[in-house]
Amino acid sequence: MKHALYAGVALAACAMSSNALAGQLTAWVIDGDSEKPYFTQLEETFNAKYGAEGISVDVVPIPSYNDAIQAATLSGGLPDVIMLDGPNMASVAWAGTIRPIGDLLDPAIIDDLLPAIKAQGTYGPEEEFYFVSPYDSGTILWGNKALLEKAGVRIPTGVEDAWTQEEMAEALEKLAALPEVEWPLDVKMNYGAGEWMTYGFAPFAQSNGGDIIDRETWIAEGTINSGANVATLTTLQDWNKAGYIVPASAGDNKFYGEKTAALSWVGNWMWPAHREGLGDDLVLIPPPAFGDAGPVSANGGWGWAVPSSSTNLEDIKVFLNYAMSSEQVAAYADTTGYVPSRASAIPLSETYGAGGAGEIFAKLAECCAIVRPVHPAYPVITNAWATAVVNVLSGDVDVKAELDRAAQTIDQDIADNDGYPPFGQ
Amino acid sequence: MRIRTKGQAQEWAMLLPALIFITALIVVPFLLSVWFSFTDQRLVPRPIPTKIIGTTNYERMFVDPLFWQAIWNTVLFALIVTPVQLGMSLGAALVLNSAIPFRSFFRAIAILPLLLPMTVIVSIWAVLFRIPSGPFNAVYQWFAGQGAYVDFLGNSSTALLAIVALSAWATFPYQMLIYLAGLQDIPQDLYEAAKLDGAKAWQRFRYVTWPGLRNVNIFLLIITTVGALKLFTQVDILTKGGPNGATTTIIHYLFKQGYSTQKVGYASAVAVFFFLAVTAIALLQRRFLKNEGEA
Repeated sequence: MKHALYAGVALAACAMSSNALAGQLTAWVIDGDSEKPYFTQLEETFNAKYGAEGISVDVVPIPSYNDAIQAATLSGGLPDVIMLDGPNMASVAWAGTIRPIGDLLDPAIIDDLLPAIKAQGTYGPEEEFYFVSPYDSGTILWGNKALLEKAGVRIPTGVEDAWTQEEMAEALEKLAALPEVEWPLDVKMNYGAGEWMTYGFAPFAQSNGGDIIDRETWIAEGTINSGANVATLTTLQDWNKAGYIVPASAGDNKFYGEKTAALSWVGNWMWPAHREGLGDDLVLIPPPAFGDAGPVSANGGWGWAVPSSSTNLEDIKVFLNYAMSSEQVAAYADTTGYVPSRASAIPLSETYGAGGAGEIFAKLAECCAIVRPVHPAYPVITNAWATAVVNVLSGDVDVKAELDRAAQTIDQDIADNDGYPPFGQ
Repeated sequence: MRIRTKGQAQEWAMLLPALIFITALIVVPFLLSVWFSFTDQRLVPRPIPTKIIGTTNYERMFVDPLFWQAIWNTVLFALIVTPVQLGMSLGAALVLNSAIPFRSFFRAIAILPLLLPMTVIVSIWAVLFRIPSGPFNAVYQWFAGQGAYVDFLGNSSTALLAIVALSAWATFPYQMLIYLAGLQDIPQDLYEAAKLDGAKAWQRFRYVTWPGLRNVNIFLLIITTVGALKLFTQVDILTKGGPNGATTTIIHYLFKQGYSTQKVGYASAVAVFFFLAVTAIALLQRRFLKNEGEA
């Protein structure tokens, strides 16, 4: 069935990308409800602006995006421009499916990108630029002001006065004592053992001086199972045992629906639901400083890449620079609710500009975001870490043993792939 | 002689479409899996060539504790869900085969679970299992008092049983329909004769119905077992194999290895092992349970 599906998608891919006419570009984009209006706008304004010069783009939202990309890669039917999810970029670049785009993008645009967005697009020991995202995402502690005030908990307002680990533990204890609070902290255990566990939990480890792999040697042993990480996950495990963390089976809405959780650690995509549920009681609290490294936020998302098979580079260059112009980046943010990826676009955004409700997200994206490891072994790295996090938060397991197993899984995969050359050479 | 050759050609021509599909979609992929299981094949293309690595995948598989946990969970699931589900199906079929009022209406109701995709059923059951006050816990609180609850899916000792309950309910109507057909196949005069001999309801079931369902039972036992061994969707949506591996099944383990971490070679080794194990179980069942009329 799956093969039949691939064959079907591949055929469609060939049909759609066969217009190799000069000036006519095809871009595949993700098929999301919140992104759709932006892409329609992008296609219309680009064609209006460059139509006279004979350049036009067909922006095609593709359902089952990852399957379609995989099928089109195998059948050689990729279009001129594609979108990729940030953490997957390295394995696609390693496979040779996409080409560097540093020569296609205006250097001023690259300079203007937020640091972690630049890091997300930079691949390999040669540090070449392969991928550019128009937006950034981030994690934050969302709070219920009424409950926090009732418990007498200090509400930090900026990155500078973020909670320390001890302060957060104290806050959780106070909040747990309130009669209306069931479990004080929702960390979205209901998302399951997937990418969230890396996206959402690596920042705690990084804030405490840890990481999930050594980004110089690309060895996990000694980093993912470091003392810092054991301490971080043990703290989270203790919080879970103390009944501070909303269990997976409790559903998604304890914070914004039932309001029996006072804090929620989750990304900016929950903003509309939180705003609707809590109204004026919603406060945005910076990530806690688990250790000396200070607050850390997650980052990254979908962005533009150019398949190695693309030939129409001059026109692609025009398109990429248009899609990454400050105005377009700001438009992407305001349409979808994500943070603009260019420093110069942030003031243009209603939400994230100075005084905007999401100013703190923009600040976090600039100061405190750490990109997920840009390495072809990322699928294995994230899976091993996510498994360990979920196991640690599911019961009374030995934290060190879980992280040791993760280290072994990752290092074995890297060894199996000869170190993923040219990495590790 | 000529006629016979012509007849054979026709037979082959009629078999051909099925043979092509079975070869292309089952035999060839399986042979490929066998081949991949001795290599370090990856899901996505890569710049270093795929190598033959002998039995490394199998050696790693046999020393991975999670693999053995997956096997144990799968076997346990099949051992529990098969009798539970067949019992439910037979019970429902017996009721719906008797002369109850509104029989057609109840028959229609009973097959409703079959009309829903498994993903929908799982989402509904996820709500039923909710803590602290989902419908199941509301019932539990009736007995155990306010504030008490069981985290059915979040507890290693109850998670697999919760999935058994959900799975048995979700697919029992299929077996029920086959039982219903089997029941209607049993000649009425046998029941009449039994009644004349003074057989009570239980005796009629024990000596007429049960032997009459022999072939149906064998068929259902095999397909229910094989179906149970393939458990995946419920686990992937509800627990992702957790908590702490308590609901990891072979297929879920295989999926994580082959898709999430892209190790197709390793996943192929798991698939080959799984195929051989399921085939062996089905053959054993056939060996020990002979159909009516077979020697």
